[in-house]
Amino acid sequence: MEDAQIVNSLVRRCIAGDAVAWEEIVQRYNRRIYNICYRFAGSSDDAQDLTQEVFIKMYRTLSSYDVERGAFMTWVTTMTRNLLVDHFRKTKQDRLTDSIDATASEHEDSMPLSDQIPDKGPAPDTKVQSRETGKVVHEALQKLSPELREAVILRDLQDMDYRDIAAVLRVPEGTVKSRINRGRAELARLLQRIYRQVM
Amino acid sequence: MPGETHNGMQCSEFEALLFDALDNQLTGAKQERFRAHARVCAKCGPMFAEAEAGQHWLKSLVEVEPPANLVNDILAATSGIPSYRLHEIVASVHQPSFGERIREWADSLLTPVWSTVRQPRFAMSFGMAFFSLSVALSVAGVKPTDIKQADLSRSGLRRTYYTTQARVVKYYENIRLVVEIESKVQEIKKVAQPARTNEERERDRNHKNNTSGEPEPRQERNYSRDENQPALASVPECGPAVSVTTNRRLV
Repeated sequence: MEDAQIVNSLVRRCIAGDAVAWEEIVQRYNRRIYNICYRFAGSSDDAQDLTQEVFIKMYRTLSSYDVERGAFMTWVTTMTRNLLVDHFRKTKQDRLTDSIDATASEHEDSMPLSDQIPDKGPAPDTKVQSRETGKVVHEALQKLSPELREAVILRDLQDMDYRDIAAVLRVPEGTVKSRINRGRAELARLLQRIYRQVM
Repeated sequence: MPGETHNGMQCSEFEALLFDALDNQLTGAKQERFRAHARVCAKCGPMFAEAEAGQHWLKSLVEVEPPANLVNDILAATSGIPSYRLHEIVASVHQPSFGERIREWADSLLTPVWSTVRQPRFAMSFGMAFFSLSVALSVAGVKPTDIKQADLSRSGLRRTYYTTQARVVKYYENIRLVVEIESKVQEIKKVAQPARTNEERERDRNHKNNTSGEPEPRQERNYSRDENQPALASVPECGPAVSVTTNRRLV
């Protein structure tokens, strides 16, 4: 039985009231959803709360899932992304705009972006393999605008294909690619600045 | 500049191939042309380098481990039913042996008792009880050596049981015999009692009617007589008149 068939069977059983099937769904997707939430929200506490919210919403609306309209994974990721956007709006986290250059020029006189991201480790080459690198990259990721961040998270961290990302974000594939490209480039520039200052 | 051609590839074509290149989808001549364009184009080269670097940084992020309680929290918040799998895993990982189960059962039973015993108050009480018991045993003449020599075998215990039972029955029967003898004595006393009382009543009446003022004639009393003496002791003092016949007148 293929993975999609197994998942569809689980969903059907779950809708019929099978608690074991629901637990199986939770076991299958909690890690993925938690990671999306963690990379988007930035903190583990927020990620935990948001993951729980996603599953609560999923549990309530599971009967509305239509197999014909798309993969369960896409449905779950869309739900997660919508909750993350809502959370972002509620918390009013004012992030950088799409253009890193514009933002950098605005803040260059006051405080460079690299100063906002703490960096305590040794040389960049050594850091690549270390946990500190992950922390720095994670913090730099939080500096991206939500549109760019969600695009690169879904593509580079969740390995989703462009079509599914387009379905989740409800934008054309071209826009998805453009956001991914801009997101990657902006992140690279941010990190280059950080390491240039350290060096 | 957009639309500029370097090594037979325009910048628009380069941008279109950018994602295939980053996803390692380009091969052969196409890849060569792409790389050559990136090397010489002032716009596309840095763009590709930044995108590649950004992708590299993002790929370096490892998947984080969710908190251990996340699944249980989700299940509690949704279905309200605890994790089945968790229980199954725990059960399958460690199946306790019979001995372990016995030990667990004994532990669950003895742990509260042991925690009570370990309290100083209980230890003091137990010490006092032991002291009292040892004093009582020593007063009663029970020696530990006697206990040591006791036959604790099955047949020995049975013999001890029957011996003790016989002793108790015998003791009881003895008590019964004594009680029966006492009741018989009481019955005999009751039979003898009315005759004596009538005599005494008559005497009392005579004594009350005597108003002469003369002293009462001395009565012989048998002080050794008491209530418990048999009927012989209650024979009237005056006794039957003994007639002595003499033949002196006739002589």
